[in-house]
This record gives sequence, C-alpha cells and structure tokens, in this order.
Amino acid sequence: MDKTIRLIGNAHLDPIWLWRWQEGCGEVLQTFRSALDRLNEYNDFVFTCSSAAYYKWVEDIDPKMFEEIKAMVKKGRWVPVNGWWVQPDCNMPSGESFARQALYSQLYYKEKFGKICKTGYNVDSFGHSAFLPQFLVNAGMTGYVMHRPGTHENKEIPENLFWWDSADGSRIMTYRIPEGYGGSGKNALDRKMQDMEERANETGHGMMLFYGVGNHGGGPTKGDIEYLRENLRREGFNDLEFSSPDDFFEELMTQPLDLPSWNDELQHHASGCYSATSLVKELNRKSENLLASAEKWDTISSIVTDSKAETEEFKKAWREVCFNQFHDILCGCSIREAYEDVKMSEGYAQNIASKSYNNAALRIARRIDTWIDGVDKAVLVENTSNQVALGNGFPRPVVVFNPHSYDVEIPVRVHHPSKAVKDSDGKSVLFQNVRASRSNDNHLDTLFMAKIKPLGYATYWLEADCDAKAEKEVTAEQNFFMENEHIMVAFDRETGYIKNLVNKENGVEYASENFVAIPTVISDEETDTWAHNVFKFHNVKGFMELQSIKRIEDGALRSVIRTVHKFNDSYLTQDFILAKGQKTLRVDCKAMWQEKFSLLKMSFAVGGEDEISTYEIPGGFIKRPCNGEEEPALNWADVTATINGKRSGIAIMSDSKYSYDCVGTELRLTALRNVIFADHYSDRPEANFDFTDEGLNRFSYGIYLHSGEAENSDVMKEAHIFNNNIVAVPESYHKGDLDPVDSFMYVDADNVEITALKRCEDGSGDLVIRLYETKGIDCTRVMLMSKLFDNGFWFDIKKHEVKTFRVRRDLTVLETNFLEGIV
Amino acid sequence: MKNPIILFPRLTRSSSHYKKYDIEVPKALHEKTPKKPNLEGFPYPLPQRKSDYTCYCHGEDGVMWFGSNGGVTRYDENADRKDDIIMHFSARRDLLDNNVLALESDGNFGVWALTEKGATHIKMTKMSMEEKAKLLTEETHKYVDRRGMTSQKRLAEPGNVKSAVSYGHSDNDGSFTVGFSIGEIFRYATLKKELGDYAPETLKARESATRACEACLLLMYIAGRGNGFVARSYLTTAEPIPDDGLFYKKNGETAVCVTTTDSQKKKLVGKEIKADAPIPERLKKLYTSEGFSDTDIVYKGDTSSDEITHHYIHLLVAHEFLGREDPELDAIIKEAAVNTMNHIIEGGYAIIEIDGNPTTWAKWNLDYFNSYMGWADACLNAAELLMYFKVTMRVTGEKGKWEEEYNKLLYKDGYKELVTKHFDRFHQVALAGGLDDREEIMYGDHMLAVLSFWGLTTLENDPELKEVYREGFRSWRYSLQPEYNPGYDFLYFLSDPDNAKPDAERIRTWFYRFNTSRIASGVSLTSRIDYPQKLFMGDYKEVSALPPNDEHFIAKYDRDPLEFKNEDSGGAGVVEGCYPYTFAYWIGRYFGFIAEAE
Repeated sequence: MDKTIRLIGNAHLDPIWLWRWQEGCGEVLQTFRSALDRLNEYNDFVFTCSSAAYYKWVEDIDPKMFEEIKAMVKKGRWVPVNGWWVQPDCNMPSGESFARQALYSQLYYKEKFGKICKTGYNVDSFGHSAFLPQFLVNAGMTGYVMHRPGTHENKEIPENLFWWDSADGSRIMTYRIPEGYGGSGKNALDRKMQDMEERANETGHGMMLFYGVGNHGGGPTKGDIEYLRENLRREGFNDLEFSSPDDFFEELMTQPLDLPSWNDELQHHASGCYSATSLVKELNRKSENLLASAEKWDTISSIVTDSKAETEEFKKAWREVCFNQFHDILCGCSIREAYEDVKMSEGYAQNIASKSYNNAALRIARRIDTWIDGVDKAVLVENTSNQVALGNGFPRPVVVFNPHSYDVEIPVRVHHPSKAVKDSDGKSVLFQNVRASRSNDNHLDTLFMAKIKPLGYATYWLEADCDAKAEKEVTAEQNFFMENEHIMVAFDRETGYIKNLVNKENGVEYASENFVAIPTVISDEETDTWAHNVFKFHNVKGFMELQSIKRIEDGALRSVIRTVHKFNDSYLTQDFILAKGQKTLRVDCKAMWQEKFSLLKMSFAVGGEDEISTYEIPGGFIKRPCNGEEEPALNWADVTATINGKRSGIAIMSDSKYSYDCVGTELRLTALRNVIFADHYSDRPEANFDFTDEGLNRFSYGIYLHSGEAENSDVMKEAHIFNNNIVAVPESYHKGDLDPVDSFMYVDADNVEITALKRCEDGSGDLVIRLYETKGIDCTRVMLMSKLFDNGFWFDIKKHEVKTFRVRRDLTVLETNFLEGIV
Repeated sequence: MKNPIILFPRLTRSSSHYKKYDIEVPKALHEKTPKKPNLEGFPYPLPQRKSDYTCYCHGEDGVMWFGSNGGVTRYDENADRKDDIIMHFSARRDLLDNNVLALESDGNFGVWALTEKGATHIKMTKMSMEEKAKLLTEETHKYVDRRGMTSQKRLAEPGNVKSAVSYGHSDNDGSFTVGFSIGEIFRYATLKKELGDYAPETLKARESATRACEACLLLMYIAGRGNGFVARSYLTTAEPIPDDGLFYKKNGETAVCVTTTDSQKKKLVGKEIKADAPIPERLKKLYTSEGFSDTDIVYKGDTSSDEITHHYIHLLVAHEFLGREDPELDAIIKEAAVNTMNHIIEGGYAIIEIDGNPTTWAKWNLDYFNSYMGWADACLNAAELLMYFKVTMRVTGEKGKWEEEYNKLLYKDGYKELVTKHFDRFHQVALAGGLDDREEIMYGDHMLAVLSFWGLTTLENDPELKEVYREGFRSWRYSLQPEYNPGYDFLYFLSDPDNAKPDAERIRTWFYRFNTSRIASGVSLTSRIDYPQKLFMGDYKEVSALPPNDEHFIAKYDRDPLEFKNEDSGGAGVVEGCYPYTFAYWIGRYFGFIAEAE
C-alpha cells in the first residue's frame, strides 16, 4: 500500500483570540499574501486554508489578491477546506447552526471557486459532538480533519485514520492529527517527519504532516518549504509529497483499508469552555433561536401576504452568528475587548431577526378580521392617552405567534393589565395581572394562557383594566409551597432550597434524600480559562445561604416564590414560577457575582440507582456516564434513575447555559464561571484582571420531571419552548381576510421537529424545510402538511436523522441536503 | 414469536380493463357530467395537484374517489390504518392511462374509471393474507411454472397473463425458484403443523414444494459434468437461446458451447465438456414428462455465487422439512451438497468453467478477496462459503473435511474477521466511486446476505462465532432496514431473537398492500407530488418514503423498493413468480411472526 506522507502546508488563523477581529482580519490578509508568494516561488508547494469568512474578507478588501487566489485554486495549488464559515466550536452551536455554517459557506465557495470543499477541517476546535459526521456529509464533505482531544486526553478514540459514525448511520473518514496542526523550523519538522514515518509504517497507510506557522497566521515559511523539499525522497524512508487533505482522502479512499470505526463523540479537551464567559453563550443561544423563529415567520408571511422574503438579510445575520461560533469566541476564552465586538455583531444579527419577525407578524396580523362594530364611533373619555391605547373600552386584539412545529400552550405577557381575556371563540381564558418591570402607572402586566397551533397564530381579546392597582406582595402567613397538575414543590424556609419536589404523574419525590436546587459555589483557582487538563469541577467552596424567601405571586394563572441567597459578596435572586398546566418549573435568576475563580452550580441530587445522564447535543441527544466530568449540552441535561422503585428523571434546562456535570444521581447545571479572560497556562502576574462573569448575570433555568427515560419524555419540546418565547403582537381594529386562528405547517410525528422554514438561496422562491428526529426512533410514513403549498408529503426518517426538503413551485418535492439542491 | 402480528382480511385492489363502450362498462359512467371536487383544506397529502383533480364520486362507508389527470385517488377518512387513508391508482397497472374523465362507484367498495383509453373496473375485494398467498401461488403455477422453475414468463401481449409464452428464461432462474421453493416448503411445514400431515391442503402444499425443490435440485445435476457444476438455468431445444451468457447444448456424452456474444468473447464457441454424468431419474422427470430428452437440453453456465448461495440454503431447508420424510430426495440433496462442495474446494474456492478458469462471479478465495474487484465482495462471499460448509455438515451429518475446511477459513484465512467488515469496505468503495451508499448497493446482495447469515446463525452453536455472525448480519442492517421487507426481516430477527423488534404496522402494510397478481405493467410513481424524490451523488434517485407494494413497481428481491422509478422488472411484457410474497408470508407464519385473524 502507498505510505506516502503528504505535507499539508497550512496556516491556522484565529480571527479573534488574544486580539480583536480587526487584527485577525489583517492577519488573514498578510498570511494569504505570504501564501501566494510561496506558491509563486515553489511550483510544487500546495497551500491549504479553511474558513469562508476569511476569503470573504479578502474578496471585500483586496479583490486583486482574491483573483490571484482564485487562479491558484483553479490550478489545485491552493485548497480551500472546511465548508463552514469558520472553524466553530463543535459542541455548542445548534444543529441548525451547523446547517447554516455549511449553507452560506459552500455556496460561497461554489460561487467564487466553482467547487465546494470536500474536507471538513476543525483542527483546533475543543471537542466534537457526536452527530458531526451527519452534518459534514449533509454539507457535501467526505473527509474530516480534527486534532483535539489529544491522545493524552482520550486514548480510546482511534489514532490517525478512522471511520467516524453518527447514530443516523452517516459516516466520514476522519484523520486525527497526531502532532499538532502547525509546526515550523528544522527541529519541529524533523520530529514530525520521524513521527509520521513511524505511523505510516505502523498503520500501513499514508499520513498527513501538517506544518506552517499558525494561530496568528503566517503559514509555511521559505525555510520550511526548502527544508521539506530537501527531504522529499530519502533512502529507506517513505516518500514525502506536497499535498492537500482533499488529495489525501481521495487517494486513501481507493486503498484497501480496514480502518477502525468510532460511533461516539470526540471529547474532552477544554471542559471550562462550556461555561466560560456567559455573555457569549447567551448571545449565541438567543441569536440562533430568534433567527430561526423570525425566518420561519418571514417565510410564512411572504407567502400569506405576498411580501418579499428577507432571505438576503437572514444570510447576513446568520453569517455573523456563524462567525461568533468560532471556537475561541464561543468558548469564551478570548480577551474581554473581543466580546465588545461580539455584542455588536450579535446585536446586528438579532436586530435583523427581530425586525423581520415583527414585520412578518404584523403583516399577517393586519390581515386578520379584528373589526368590532362601533369601534370607530367617537368617544370622549378621561385619562385619554392610556385609555385610547387600550381600546377605548373595547377589548383589544393581541395576536400570538408560535414558531414551533407543535402545539404550544404557555403564559404570554402583554404590558398592560386586563380585567378579562377571551379567545377568538369568545371563551374566557385564564389570565393574571402580574407585576411589571416598570414603576410607571399601575405597575401591572397581563399574563394570559395562550394556546397556539403548530407554526400558527391565535387571536386573543384583552379587556383593559385601567383601574387596576398593584397589590402588595403576598406577605401574610407564608406558605412556601406550589402545585399544579404536574408538579408539587415546597421550599425549606431555613435554607431556601427545595425540600419537596414531586412528579405528580408517578408520585415520585425527588427530594426525599437531599434538598435540591442548591446554589453551590465551586473553587476554580487551579486552572486557566480553558480548564486545560481539568475535567471535573468538584472542589466545593460552600453553599449559598438564604437571605430571604417570600411568595410574591399567588394567582389564578401562576404562583411565584422568590429566594435570595448570598455567598461572600455575591447574591443570587431566584423567582420560582409555576404556572397552571405547565410541565416545567421555571426559575428566573439574577446573580450579582463577585466571587473570583469560582463556578456557580445549581445542584439536584435526586437519589436512586441505575442512573444514566442524557444531554441535548447538536442534532439530538446523547447518553453519557454519570462520572462527574463536566459535559457540554445545548438546552437541557437530564439524570434518570430508579427512584423508589420507579424509573424517573429530572431534566434541567436553561435559556443560555451549556455546561453540566452529573455525579452519580446528582445533576448540576453550571450557571456561572468566573475566571480571568484569556488566561492560557499563564503565571497570573499581579494585575487587576477582568473576570468572565463578574457583575450582573441574568439567566433562567427550568426543572422538568418525567417518568421513564429522558428521550421518551417531552423534554426536548419543553426545553425548546422554554428557549423560544412566543411573540405577542398588540393589534388594532380592521377588516381582514384571514381567520383569527390558523396553522401553516405541521408534522404528524411527535418526535420530528421543524428547525428551518425558509426560501431557497438560489432565488427560485422554492421553500426549504429542515427537520430532525428527536427521540432516537426510526419512523416511517411521517406526514408533513402545509397550507403554504396547499398539500403535503410523506417521508421516512431514521433515528437522529436531519432531513432537508425543497418544495418547488410546481409542488414537486426534493429531498436534498444542507446545500438545498443548489450544488 | 410469543405474540404474532395478527393479519386481518383487508380490501385489496385489482383492476380489469375494458374498451370504452364495452358492454360491461356501466352506462352511468358515460352519462356522468364530471364535477371537480372541492379539495380545499384537504388534510392529507394528495398525489396530484389539487387543480389536476377533475372528477369524483362517493363510495361506500364514507369513502371518496377522486379522479385526476394523474390517476385515481381513494380517500377513506375512517380508515383504521394511516397507510390506508389515501390510496392511489395509476397507469398502467391500475388504469389504462392516467387521464381520468369520470368515476362511478361499483356499489361494492370498488369504482369504475373512465379514462382516455378506455374504462377500468377497480375492484376492492376483502381477502385474508393467506387467500392472497393462494391466489398468487395459483397464478405462478398456472402461468409462470416452467418445468418447476418459477422465476418469470414472457407475455406475448403485455398485461395479458393468458398470453404467456412457453419460455421465460431468467439469468437467475435457480435463485428465484429457490425463493419460491423455500416459501412452498414453509407452507407445507406450516400447514402440516396447523392442519396435520394428511389434510388435503397439507398434501397439496407438499406436492408443490416437492416439485419446486426438485426443479432447483435439477440445476445442480443437469450439466452432467460429474464435478458438482451447477447450471444457472436450462432450456429445451423448443425454446430460443437468448444472447445472454454461456449456454451448452447437451449432445449425449458431451455438451458443446453454443454461439453467443459472451462465448465468442471468451473463445468458447464449439468447446466441448463432459455431459453424461447421471441425473437422478426423479429430477429428470421434470423435462422427460414433457417429452424432452437429455439431448434436448441447453443449460446455462458461468454460474455465480448468487446461485450457489441460494442453492445451499435451499438444500438446508429441503433437507430439514422434506428430506427427513423422503429418503430418496434426501439422498439427492446430500449428494448435491457434497458434489458442489468438492467442486468448490477443488476449484480453490471457486466454480470452475470449462476453460479451467473461475466463472465471472463465483469466487470465494483470498486471491479474489485481495483483488481490486473482490475487496468489497469479500465480506459477503466469506459468509457465503462458511454457510455452504455448515449446510454441508448439517445435511450430510458428517464433519470431517468439511469442518477442517471451515476452521481453516475461519482461523487461518481470516474469514472470521472478514464477515463483519461489510459496511466498512462497502462504504469506502462507494465513496471512492463518488457515490452514496444506496446507489452503490447491488440490491440482490441483500438476499444473499440474509440467507448466508441466517444459515450461519442458525447452524453455528459456538456462542462466540454465533455472535460474530450476528455482528456480520448487523453490518447489513443499515441497508436492509429501509426496505421493511419481512422476507429479510423475519430471518434477521431469527438470527437474534432476543433483540428482535418487528415493526408491526410496517409488516402489516407490506402484506396488506401486496398486489394479488404479478403481471408486470408499471405505475406512475414519478409523477406523484406526495413522495419527495431524493437525489444522490451519482444521480440515482429514491423516494423519501417507502410506498406500499401496490403503489410501486413489481420486483423480485433484487431491486431497491425506494427507487424513483415506474417500470416493473422485466418491463411490461412478463408475469413474475410470486415468491417475494410467499417466501415472506410462509416463513412469517411458520416461525410465528404473523398469524391470520381467527
């Protein structure tokens, strides 16, 4: 077999890390110039570089140089790799984000270079979630290059070359870089040549030797190239050859290899990165959700109201979000100043999303018939401005929009008090006037229980209560107990921790052995921002102590109990909210955090045996052992055990967090991690350092109880609803041709969720629908129906599979991949 | 199975076509003024655009029939199964053409459809799945059977089964007849168990099974080379010789290779080979009873591993269920197993043609496995050869050299490792060719894998090896599963009963929605809008959901049922054998995966 060692000249470029993006951009321009010069000087040298975002910078800033690159790509001398916008963190972006990384990048590559990237290439990302093979294959890629975790961090993952499988059956040939993605100078190259030689002989197949100055760019130097040229043919050694990952995979694919396979995630490298710098995590989560929801409704609106879809605007917004998913950004390990830029960038994306969402919602709402006879008659009232705004004595319509592909029933807030709320059939709806965030007028908002069909809207009528007055908080005989149809919860008045937590479905008590929801402070002094070489955070400094506990609401719709805890100079206020019919106990938190080198974990030790923990990951969920290692997760994590003889689980979800651990049957959400910014193995000289989570932090988490295993429960839906607030649009009175309630698309399988509804990127006007299987079950003959194209279609879907459909103007349907059938 | 899936009698479609003004066609159909249906807010995917629906009529029990210029859609909002709420009927199998002009209920759950080219009566007849098996078997016996071989027959007039000509060669006559024979043997075994040895139905089944079995065994003897060479098929001099492979005309002591494109390419034209090795009289009767003698025989060579694999699993089943009560037959079975096994061993694990070279596809040796072509085949072929040895040990009751060879293959030649690597190698080869897995699959290999691993997991008693074979079987599961073919799945579940998870609804749909006839004519799947089309790297297309059997093309166990195509195998001019249904049905019944409702 051919054991040629292929020399991969590359430049690892961090656009943000210990510098801001402006410097990263300059670094890209310099590195690309240098690479072109080397290509012109050495006619056998080949250069490899990833990240569509960098090419876009060059195209915008130096079009002449971009043309030179295009010419080199055409010759096969410059090889773009990784059909993604950047080399993202591969644990925290949502599955839909990975689709967008591919969509906007591969189409860009196709447009500019006439071809898409065949090799996925994330050489520095800090771990790789389990369904990446599926995302890579869906992006048209056939090989993957990764590096972390190293063998010192995980010895079980095959070395060198292996097949990596996703649970849906997708598979990609994967090269685990043994000796780092960079390297320059004689000593480094000698060491690498020796190592690759040994590995080639041991495995019987060729290897890739990565070289070039990296991180801050640079790429292969003249000295490197010349030294390697001297060594291309050495007596008694395997040949060396300037090459690219594309060529490596293409060649090895044709050789009779019996490679090992791996059907799990590739973890762990930097476990502190799942929680470092809460700000960027929160921004990422909110942008992802807002963009996906807004785009769905923009698409619906474009069809229902015959308006222009904002496809181009969404592309701009998604590209910002994709850029900020770069591993050193989303992992929270860049310098503090960089996050000022991230705020601007994410704000830009969120602004596009929220404007589009509002426009779309109002375009539809204004077509609904909300006219009330007599509403146009002149009236003369006192207290005019507020009164007129609230309907002049007539009930006022509010239209509520559901971005989910399933029914949602949830309390919705409107910023005025009401004396009655009715649905469009005139039936009374459960509501409650609750304290507003403002101190103006009556301090009251309305919360009402909205019920909305999948990807649908519903119209409600709110009768304003202009005389409403905020009542004092409930201070009478305090009873720290709440209950609805699903959950019973009681608090210990001494500690403020939960002393009873009962799943009413099966009667299981989760707090029989320990109090739960304990804010636990963990010491984190020994590691750096990444937490290099540390995989568990178990050094408990102490538990936050109760300052106060009180019931602040106890109404028809919901009850709220507020606790305030303290630890040294840090405070945590938690509002525990239990609404009627809700399966999730919501906790809105406000932390004033001062504790340096610390983690705040919310602890739930539920007892029982035969425990297993389950985590949402991009594209689905994964089971992991309850070994106390810090684990990445998207919206939720769960521990399920046999508690008092009954198989039961507790899931903790959040609106902005990505990190958990599970020690036996104790599941802990990592809410805060307060360490020094960009502290990379440093000796921490005396300085007034900035800390990642110091100051005010607002976040929410939810507690969901279930029978049986996590994947068979509603946890996925609950967590997604928790993360994606329903939009309520206050409306006015007008005639219209739309019904007061409608639904535009649904799927008849409980375990299939629509994540994208958009227009095709090729301007054809075709609809693109992306969905995935959420419970790990193979399904056949699933039905999708939609008013948007006045028909539906059937499909089979494998466990954990993501599918993309393109509905053409002639109503024929294509099943395609992330690239929408354009490439 | 502890709890069999109960199959209930179901309304089953069949179509009769008429000229527009045939006396059978109800007048009302012509007199009707077509009225477009109001399909606004229709709650299920419609196969055609709403604007393409031109007419409708009411059926029984709330059923609606909608006519379109893309066929007829039946809507039963009260259907007890999701799969039966919407049914679609299209040309040419269900209709003469798709342009429906008028519909009229037949008052008995069916409908009359007037189309451009004539009228069609779509009958909906309630029948049990056993009744369906019986109907299909009768059709095969009556129109397909060719001296016991049952793969297919050509029709002089497409669609008209009565026009079946007397010949109908298939390249895989042996394989397909084995499928039928195994189904019939399990029918016999099931009825024997349920009705007793001497019930008329049992005896009838035994007769049918024995005839099919003998037809298969004959192929293992008919070449008369005396070295265990198995013929792919055979013809008589009354049949035309197709220009498709190598054929040998028997002339007494020898047979001579006749002129075909292949024989010319291989320079075998006119070459002679021994042909007078004895053929058991009992088998010869299949052609002598029709007036043919040995010298009227033209047999087909260049036999593939596909054929051999089918034959060996057939030897096992025939031995277990027929041979044990029919010593004469059993002796023939044993001799066939031994002869061909010896041929394979002496041929260096290959079937050898008259030029001394292995046939194109019957190679199970390391030389082939290490070749460019054989590398991906190795895992399946290794399992096949191991299965042959296990079957030979079982039917002969002897171990001796068979076991020695078996152990050598397993532990010295590395076959034990090979049998589990199918997916790894196959996937790599597909990628290297720029293809997705599903477009690289040879769909006929599915049956070979199922038979091989079923045989191995059934016959191997060593727990470690059994688990290896299960793992090998699992490496095929990814491509088998999307077919939801109970003919595969039942045997897969048998290989690992503790982990068997039959999908009852899919199994029901597969049987309920199987056609009552195997007359090929095609459907119009590709003009439907309710099935997305999935395009692969190499331009191959599938539909995104498995259509019910009665709404996609007719095929044997050698095609992708998800393929985005309309044409039945063999085009419109054949009637196929019924084994795809009866093989699955009777295995399912025998092993208790399915049962008929009381």
